[in-house]
Amino acid sequence: MDEKHFEELWEQEERQGLQRRLQQEYPRWQRARRVRRTALASVAVLLVAGFSFFNFQFSTPKFYDSVACNRNGIAEGHWAAEASRILTIETL
Amino acid sequence: MKRLLLILTPLMLLACSHEETELPLYQRFAPRQDLTVAQVKGFQIGDTLKTDVVLLVADDSAAWAELKAEFDIRTSEGVTSWMGDIDEPARRVKRAVRPAWRAMAVHADRTVAFYRIDTEAQRQALMDYQLDNLNQNHKKLNQI
Repeated sequence: MDEKHFEELWEQEERQGLQRRLQQEYPRWQRARRVRRTALASVAVLLVAGFSFFNFQFSTPKFYDSVACNRNGIAEGHWAAEASRILTIETL
Repeated sequence: MKRLLLILTPLMLLACSHEETELPLYQRFAPRQDLTVAQVKGFQIGDTLKTDVVLLVADDSAAWAELKAEFDIRTSEGVTSWMGDIDEPARRVKRAVRPAWRAMAVHADRTVAFYRIDTEAQRQALMDYQLDNLNQNHKKLNQI
C-alpha cells in the first residue's frame, strides 16, 4: 500500500464515518428543530393574542371598570350610561 | 414546551380576568324582587378620578313608595339629593363627612342613585361633572 492509496482509503473511511454520524445525528437535530419551531410559533401566537387583548382594552373607551346587576339581560353599558344620565338630570 | 404552555395559559387567563366584588349596599338590595339593582364600579368622574355607583330602580309605583319611605324621601317630583351615611344611606350626614354616599332620587325614573364620596377631590369632580353637563345644555339651548 503506497501513500496515495492510504490517503484514498483514509478519505473514504472519513466520508463513511461522517455519513454514519450524520445518520445518527440527523433525527436528533430534526427533533430539536421541530421543538424550536413549535416554541417560536407558540411565543408568536401568545404575543399576538396578548397584543390584541391589550390593544382592545386600551382602544375601547370605557368609563367604568365593572357592572353588576340583579337582573339578567340588561347590558352593562346601560347602567354606566344611567349613572351618567342621572348626574345630568339634576342639573336640568 | 407543552409544560410551559400549561403554566403560561392559566397565568395569562388569571392576568386578564377582572375581580368582581359586590358593594355592601348592592348586596343589601340585590335580593329584592321589586327592585332592579345595579352597581357600577370605577365610574369615571374626572380625568383620573373614579367612584362607585349603586342604582336602585323601583319596578312599580308600590315599590317606589316603599323605597321613598325607606329613604325618607318626602318630595314627589323632580330630584331629591342628600349626603347619606356610608353604612346607612337613609341617614343624612353633613357635607364634610367622609366616606359618604351622595344620593339622588329621580322621581320620574323611580330611581335612587348613590355615588360614593371618599375624598374632597371626588366630591369636587362630581360637581364639575354636573357643571360640564349644565354648560353643554346651555350651549345646546343657545343653538336652538
